[in-house]
Amino acid sequence: MVRKTTTTAFGRPFGRREFLKGATLLGVAGAFPAIITRPGFAQGAPTVVNSIRSLSNPYHATWNKGGEAFAKSVSAEYVTLVTEGNSEKGIADIKAILAKTGGNCVINVDPNDSPDARPIVEACKAAGAYVVTQWNKPADLHPWDFDPNYVAHISFSGVPYGKSMAEALIKAMGGKGGIVALGGIESNVPAIERKAGLEEALKANPDVKLLDMQVANWSATEALEKTNAWLTQFGDEIGGIWAANDDMALAAVEALRADGRAGKVPVTGIDGIQLAVEAILKGELAGTVAWDPYWQGGMGLSIGYHAKTGKFDPSKEGQEHREFYGTGVIITAENAQSFYDSNIKSEPRLDWNDIWGRVSGQIKY
Amino acid sequence: MNASSPEPVLSLINVDKRFPGVHALKQVSIDLRPGEVVGLIGENGAGKSTLMKILSGVYQHDAGEIRVGGRPTRFLDAADANSQGIGMVFQEQSLLTNLSVGENIYLGNEKQFTRFGIMNWRTLYDAAARQLAKVKVDVDPRARAEDLDFASRQMVELAKALTLEERGAGHLIILLDEPTSVLERAEIEILFARVRALKSRASFIFVSHRLDEVLELSDRIYVMKDGAVVAERNAAEADVTELHQLMVGRSLQAEYYREPLQKTYRAEIAVEAHNLSLAGAYRDISFQLHRGEILGIAGVIGSGREELTRTLAGFAPHGSGRLAVDGREVTLRSPAEAVDSGIGYIPRERRVEGLVLFLPVAANITLADLESLSRHGLIDAREERRLAISWVERLKVRTPSINTLCLNLSGGNQQKVVLAKWLNAKAKVLVLDHPTRGLDVGAKEEVYDLVRAVTTEGLAVILTSDTLEETIGLSHTVLVMRDGEITHRASANPGAKPRQVDLIGHMV
Amino acid sequence: MSTPTTSATSALPDATPAKHVSRFRLASWAPVIVLVLLCIIIASINPNFLSFGNFVRISQAAMIPLVLGLGATFIILMGSIDLSVEGVLTLAAVILSMLVLNGANGNDYGLLAVLAVLVIGAAVGFVNGVIHVKLKVPSFMTTLGIWFIGVGAANALLGGMAIRINDPMIRGLAIERFLGFARGVWLALACLGVALVVQNYTRLGRHIYALGGGEELAALSGISVARVRIMAFMLAGVFYAIGGILAAAQLGLGNAQIGNGRLFTTVTAVVVGGTALSGGQGSVLQTLVGVLIVVVLANGMVLMGVPPSVQIGVQGLMIIAAVALSIDRKLMRIVK
Repeated sequence: MVRKTTTTAFGRPFGRREFLKGATLLGVAGAFPAIITRPGFAQGAPTVVNSIRSLSNPYHATWNKGGEAFAKSVSAEYVTLVTEGNSEKGIADIKAILAKTGGNCVINVDPNDSPDARPIVEACKAAGAYVVTQWNKPADLHPWDFDPNYVAHISFSGVPYGKSMAEALIKAMGGKGGIVALGGIESNVPAIERKAGLEEALKANPDVKLLDMQVANWSATEALEKTNAWLTQFGDEIGGIWAANDDMALAAVEALRADGRAGKVPVTGIDGIQLAVEAILKGELAGTVAWDPYWQGGMGLSIGYHAKTGKFDPSKEGQEHREFYGTGVIITAENAQSFYDSNIKSEPRLDWNDIWGRVSGQIKY
Repeated sequence: MNASSPEPVLSLINVDKRFPGVHALKQVSIDLRPGEVVGLIGENGAGKSTLMKILSGVYQHDAGEIRVGGRPTRFLDAADANSQGIGMVFQEQSLLTNLSVGENIYLGNEKQFTRFGIMNWRTLYDAAARQLAKVKVDVDPRARAEDLDFASRQMVELAKALTLEERGAGHLIILLDEPTSVLERAEIEILFARVRALKSRASFIFVSHRLDEVLELSDRIYVMKDGAVVAERNAAEADVTELHQLMVGRSLQAEYYREPLQKTYRAEIAVEAHNLSLAGAYRDISFQLHRGEILGIAGVIGSGREELTRTLAGFAPHGSGRLAVDGREVTLRSPAEAVDSGIGYIPRERRVEGLVLFLPVAANITLADLESLSRHGLIDAREERRLAISWVERLKVRTPSINTLCLNLSGGNQQKVVLAKWLNAKAKVLVLDHPTRGLDVGAKEEVYDLVRAVTTEGLAVILTSDTLEETIGLSHTVLVMRDGEITHRASANPGAKPRQVDLIGHMV
Repeated sequence: MSTPTTSATSALPDATPAKHVSRFRLASWAPVIVLVLLCIIIASINPNFLSFGNFVRISQAAMIPLVLGLGATFIILMGSIDLSVEGVLTLAAVILSMLVLNGANGNDYGLLAVLAVLVIGAAVGFVNGVIHVKLKVPSFMTTLGIWFIGVGAANALLGGMAIRINDPMIRGLAIERFLGFARGVWLALACLGVALVVQNYTRLGRHIYALGGGEELAALSGISVARVRIMAFMLAGVFYAIGGILAAAQLGLGNAQIGNGRLFTTVTAVVVGGTALSGGQGSVLQTLVGVLIVVVLANGMVLMGVPPSVQIGVQGLMIIAAVALSIDRKLMRIVK
């Protein structure tokens, strides 16, 4: 799957308050050694490793928190590898940790680019380590071809969430009226999937008319300009605004605010960034979807750890547990407060043993 | 003026300046007295520009002493020189064309017109108008410099230099560096009249290639050669011939245009034009140019000779008629096609069209014929070196090495490199477009030598020149053009050259 | 020999005064004509374009590019280029969001924060200028580096997250109106006024033109080239910082992506307005016209229903056309 594009979509403001301090410190630490380790590699118990792009975006910083929390829950050594957007560095660091641990490790990796997944999986297989990949891998690379070491691949489909946001929007509009839509970069896979979801929802609701769809390239600035132009072109015809991510949704809210209409026209986003959740609480945003990187960072390791420690045999699992879509959390006014309290105000509590709890179908290529 | 004149306003005593590998100024001593115009002459490379740059604060001298009003000093930069009363008038390019006349006059010196940092334009333009009145030039201070003709720009420069008076800088010293090189005779007269009128306010150092102008304007003349002052003359007692001899160390009159070297040309035709026409430029031009022949084209502006030259160089293809080079009929649609046909073009703007200034001498020489130097698509560096060295020796190019950037050569030597380029490319025809413009006498003579040498080897030359005298002196045949047509053809064999007046009759 | 120009063949074929200059000046009205034509075309397809509400929205879209363009104009007039627009803007927006009343910490410095951000803008410009002048690094590379450093610093400060701005004064720039237009628009117009004064009535403005027209000649006239360059970069830095304040006000937040795409708009607007990249020719008023062309075009393409995939192509065409226009003028200057 397309990598750079995914991070453009997800590597966006998403966080908790403590990041202001925490992420900066992590970012500084990450700048020095490529590998941050806790002292001493214990023999026997496998080391757990997260390989991610950087610690300076809240998405991956949250991912790292999840990894730490899981490692703590099983008292394993925890290592964070940071690619800084460099595929060679990403692969080399993984090979280094494989050599250092003699293959006694579990790796949960968000490959920098799809092709990177193959050499990473091959190196893990050769070293006897267990690996879980997320978001990016070539379509013809399958976990079952590398039993048992390649435990699973996890991704998220944009289609159902683009659709559920559209449905939430339509519901907020009272089932009829005109909407305008802000899309991501045109050639970008998540943008295409989310748009497909929107179109599915529109097909099911003939009373709702799509007035216009514009590409705002995931950018708040462009979204603001496009929304402004729409306000001229369609005026009161606009009953709702669907945006392919939260940044663009929040910009649309600001355009409405400058026009004195914030809160009167429902808007939806996707990604579940903190500001979006807060906007839902204020009644300015009708909904968003949280991918929960905390879960991705912890559960990716947990699945690999369970396999490594013999809790289950990957080669005996069905394909729906080897290549699967994870489950996003749909946030609307109804659950925004509880989501905020349990995920943003405080550290989430997850059951790391519930490894298949968020499987929502096998990935289709 | 004589030696018992009052205390000098500016004295240079044994001033010395060295650059890496060059001893640019050797123990130069010059005095400038109040109200005096001192002429400074010398060949290119004699040290005049270095001296001017030291006086204007661009360089600093290494040894010796400079005194202004009797006090030893040195000029740290242009602003420092200004504050000590040194003003400068350069060639026409030294006004900023995108600014107004008034802005130019007070450029760098606007503070007096600001109040709380805000410019008062009216007072500035009023002051500028007063400066312009001093030099008696009728120019709107609000006009943009690019809208002025060159003569007016020169006057504006003079006015700018005179603003130093207001800054209480004491007695003014104004450097006139080649101020006449782009002016018409009538304009020169005006400039000279102004300079004479201003002698009560300032002293002048006048640098020029034109010896007669130096004689005309100066009170005293210093002659420089190879970085040293070789002679000092009172203008009243000097003449052009003597000055020229002092400058170049050889006699002027004898064989200036190398007439004895003018050999009879060969029978083979190099270029043939038949009824060549280009709408709005020239029409029905027919001539035959033989190998070894120099064909001079004379005519005033608008006669079509510049356009004809450009056609032959490939810049403006002819409209109708036939043009054959080396027996092959051609239409020269681009300079590249002209080169392919064996025509080399030596442009007047060497810096613009003739040379790649940021490339070394060797690369410029081989530029037009890299194919024959290339082996399997790569340039044979050793062969390039050998060729470049041989050309540098044959044409006596004065350069520290073949790896020196052309940027660092003098005008005459740049011209030689251009010539070497075409000779190396085995051009059969050379188009010389004002080949001696901007060169001093010695450098001109070297170009004449070269032109003679190449025609002896069988090259055909088409020449348009700055002066009719040069055209007549060099050519075998002179074509006179008027209003786009050939009005006269004169052969110009040695000893039987046509007179200028005879040709002028066909020009106007 | 020394019979100089007495011969009939004059040495001065091109020394005649330039007569077609006035025609060349007409060309500098081209951007205005383009803007007017653009408005007529858009209005004829969608009359809503001419509504007061749309003017207000266009003014809101134009205020940030205008302020950024003012700063960049001075740099481009000087014959340099400044790529640090996004870096300074992002840093300014992020620091502002951290210092005023916000959703992440307890700060509430108000006007003091604004002042601090302006000082930071000037400081970054100073660094640009000093590196460029003292180390003789071309402005292209210097400002490219500062761009990345600025965005990097903003990223390090926030760890990639966004801070909601709650300060009513800052938010008011985008939300509160005066005579129907957002306060930020008036602030941008005030900036234009300041820029006009600097351009037309200060020595700095004059010297910037002089440097663009010919640096060596300017130096010979006693102008301290280094000082002018550093001052110009500082001035530009302050304008970018104001742009950052407006951007933060408009989106109601500060984050490290807030500057994305701004450099492109800024340079396009300056060049489309007719300021030559070679320096010496142009003005901040022309930049205003350029900004309006860019903004009206973007607004108009949505109003006219131009498909999104075509829009970016139209923008590209506009840039090429603008550069072609500026080269054309340049040529005329030489050809004359």
